[in-house]
Amino acid sequence: MGKRLTVAKRELASLRSEKTIVLAILIQLFVAAFSSFLAVGLVSLYDPGSVSNQFVVEFGVTGEAREDIVPVIEEQDGWRTLEYSDEDAAMRDFDRGAIHAVLKVDRTPDGRARVRAIAPDGNVRTTLVVTQIKGVLETFERAERQRLRHSLERQPVELPPDSSSSPYFGFTYTVLVPLLTFLPVFVSGSIAVDAIAEEYDRGTLELLRVTPLTGVDIVDGKMLAMGVLAPVQAGAWLALLSFNGTAIANPVEILLLVTGFSVGVVTMGATAALAFRERKQAQFLFSMGVLVVFSSTYLLPESPANAVAKLAIGSPTQLTHLSVGAYLVVSLAAFVGLRRFVAKRGLGS
Amino acid sequence: MNLRKVLRIARWEVSKNAGQLDRRAIAVGLVVLLAVGALTPMVAQRGVTLDDGIYQVGVSPESPYYEPVAQDPTFAPVDPKGTLSTGEVGPNPKADVVVCTEEMVRCAPGEVVWDDTRKGKAALAEFRKTVKQYNDLLMSRESNQTAAFPVEVSLRYEEQTGLNPAGASGSSAARTTREGEERLGGGQSGGTGSPGATTAPGGSAGSGTGDGSSGSDGPMQAPSVGSGGGSLFGGNARGGTPSDIAPPFPFESLVLAFAFVLPMNFVIQAYASTILDERINERGELLLVSPVSRGDIIAGKTLPYLLGMTAIASITAVGIAILTPAAEGATAVASTAAASVSAVVPIALLFLASAFVGGMFARSFKELTFVTVTLSVFLTSYAFVPAIFTNVHPVAAISPLTLVVKALRGTAFSLGEYAFSTGPLYLSAGVLFALGAGVYREEDMFTQRPVPLKFLDALDSQISGRRSMVKLSALSIPFVFVGELLAVALLFALPVSLSMPVLLVAIALVEEVAKSVHVYAGFAHDRFERTLRSAATLGFLSGLGFFLGEKATAVAQLVGLPNLELGRAAFGTVTGLGVETSPLVLLGLLFAPLALHTVTTTITAAGATRDRNWYAGTLVVATLVHAAYNLTVVSYLG
Repeated sequence: MGKRLTVAKRELASLRSEKTIVLAILIQLFVAAFSSFLAVGLVSLYDPGSVSNQFVVEFGVTGEAREDIVPVIEEQDGWRTLEYSDEDAAMRDFDRGAIHAVLKVDRTPDGRARVRAIAPDGNVRTTLVVTQIKGVLETFERAERQRLRHSLERQPVELPPDSSSSPYFGFTYTVLVPLLTFLPVFVSGSIAVDAIAEEYDRGTLELLRVTPLTGVDIVDGKMLAMGVLAPVQAGAWLALLSFNGTAIANPVEILLLVTGFSVGVVTMGATAALAFRERKQAQFLFSMGVLVVFSSTYLLPESPANAVAKLAIGSPTQLTHLSVGAYLVVSLAAFVGLRRFVAKRGLGS
Repeated sequence: MNLRKVLRIARWEVSKNAGQLDRRAIAVGLVVLLAVGALTPMVAQRGVTLDDGIYQVGVSPESPYYEPVAQDPTFAPVDPKGTLSTGEVGPNPKADVVVCTEEMVRCAPGEVVWDDTRKGKAALAEFRKTVKQYNDLLMSRESNQTAAFPVEVSLRYEEQTGLNPAGASGSSAARTTREGEERLGGGQSGGTGSPGATTAPGGSAGSGTGDGSSGSDGPMQAPSVGSGGGSLFGGNARGGTPSDIAPPFPFESLVLAFAFVLPMNFVIQAYASTILDERINERGELLLVSPVSRGDIIAGKTLPYLLGMTAIASITAVGIAILTPAAEGATAVASTAAASVSAVVPIALLFLASAFVGGMFARSFKELTFVTVTLSVFLTSYAFVPAIFTNVHPVAAISPLTLVVKALRGTAFSLGEYAFSTGPLYLSAGVLFALGAGVYREEDMFTQRPVPLKFLDALDSQISGRRSMVKLSALSIPFVFVGELLAVALLFALPVSLSMPVLLVAIALVEEVAKSVHVYAGFAHDRFERTLRSAATLGFLSGLGFFLGEKATAVAQLVGLPNLELGRAAFGTVTGLGVETSPLVLLGLLFAPLALHTVTTTITAAGATRDRNWYAGTLVVATLVHAAYNLTVVSYLG
């Protein structure tokens, strides 16, 4: 074990002395900050309440049947109506920005309400206003259905109460947490390729070979160094997230899963490097291989990203626990297989 | 540069790589590629399953809510009943949302109760959405479609001319005519095809304000953000009911970004390896001593990769163009694809250029991996994030992918828009290649130096005298531009009161670094005398170069983002254009930036004469001065 630790320490020391590992941390910070900004930005476009509570959408209502929609709109706090008997007047007010949207409501011969909505184009508020128009019209549709319920054979299911939940909540667990836990794994695998390909390429393997290290020791040591990095980074992220108020429900199990994947991906990287020796080919096949492995996990009943999301949000099922175990077993089996192979064949000349 | 030599080196590069491939590698590669090809449709068919089963809902099979819950994979159904602490039967405490049943105490049958946590509330919001969708599904099976869908909607987008920021630019040509008449879905109702499902007549575009078609080709207006937000891959299935309204938000950009940008990440891996390979064990020595120029070597080594990337992008573009409805017929497909590729090539060039610099700077494979991964992340987000806002926000114009989205939608883009989106990329790629070429020489290629020092070396190699300061400052403009646009993209979502000060400081820092880092490089290599006098001269020259380069961004003011408040803050202060005021003030506005740039650069140059810490310290001071100036100008101009 001591020999392997020496190799691992040497690898980590070379990473430290180059200091470019800082870049890896930087990338992850960037990804986290960027996705948070993005999510907050998108949410503010969709849902005014989440950013400022004061934004009131003003609808200019016109058309013969406008009396039908006004009470529906007025019921809500964030919506206000201005009635116009003349459509041109409404359009003028819309044009100078006094109202956010125009709804022209009239009736078709068969009794339907026909709404022609006009939303501002190419403006920061467009998305917001369109979302609000949608909300108004859905409420109106429900009211109309209620009025016409006797002509319906099936009755719509009553809507559950509205809750003031941030749409960002789901995003954090289903996108951000899996991203931050798997990104370090890929980077680790990629550096594992480099660590081995470099020895071949620079011819320094000969130097290692004259030391009392066996081939297995060298490969073990290199994989140990890279395999440890990913779970450490993922752990740091989970700690940071819970520190920031995002409760992570099953941190230990998530870390187990990340460790499993880390072992598996680093083994893949090492295998590619041992088989092809040349960095360009090994890296290419490794990245394509990772792509294949990860997309094929989507065909499983529960993908790894989904498993991490479920664990983090606190809804793991029996299947989730089983799959964490399965990932660990498969990865360890691959690792043991690679060691056997190296022990039998050595590192080649 | 000699074309014959370039082509020969390109041929060597290809044959060398092909020679390294043995039968085994080719076989494995083919298997992997086949697997990717086979898996993609399968995964695409399954869809994104990230949020499957993240909320637990307790609902009994008798409840009307059972069906909607069972249909939505986001919910994991659990037993609604649980035991309360009192021993009575109540809502299951493990579930996030429970629909009460008759056996439960303290909650009426059919009542929906939820956990009072963030998760419980999020689950409830999702539940409400699902029930809405279920109701629409239920209604589509009704025989009386008039009662089932009693509201029909058509949505139109129209410019609010009164809202245009007055005085932002001299031209008052407002973009009044981009009214995107948006038909929500076709005339046929999906599913039953029952009578009465036809939607409102389509041609109601004329009923609007009727402000005619003046100025749709207004001079150099902001890149249009397009109109309407129909789906790229076919329309909505059902007629115009309220639930069909989709806010203009092209998620397709995500697909595009990955289809175009993802392969680039693989190619630059190989390209950067090639560059680094030359530097290991002095392998590049042979080429260096051969009678070809540096430019020939670099161009020859880059050419195969650029061609490869263009070929991949062309295949992708043709594939996507065939899939989208905008292009019908071979010529339409070809022109759409050509437009897309022309927008993607600058991204490819920038990828290659930065990978080249990465390959020249990195000390080992491991370092190279970090560098390339960083490049991939940054460049992908630069291309991708603004493109999300196509049709929503002018900020989208920053990214060339926006042009791709437009091309696929069948909207033409103007040359001005193309220049605005791709100009900074072309320029940056050129400068990066020049920087990397500067260290493509024996003394730098085969030595191990930390990346920052290599960077200083690269800058130093571009300095040939004091006048080089002007050149380097001016050449830094594209990076400043990219950096500032990135800052704008990052910050625009925040409320203006918060983002504006942060942005002003960030922009000041970016500009100060760009103006002074080559001065520092010059001093670090003892190219100049370390006196205050030479610092003042160099500071002045560097500031002047930056000023001149910045005037070129007046183009950005004219073409670019004048509608966007942040864009004005970023670029408005530098040009002084579009301000209607007395000639004296205008003259002041013209020369005030020159004074500012020379003064702040002189401050940093003075620090650069000492050492790194002094340089960093004076950089902070200069940034603060610059930010204060910008703040004054922004508040003065309102």
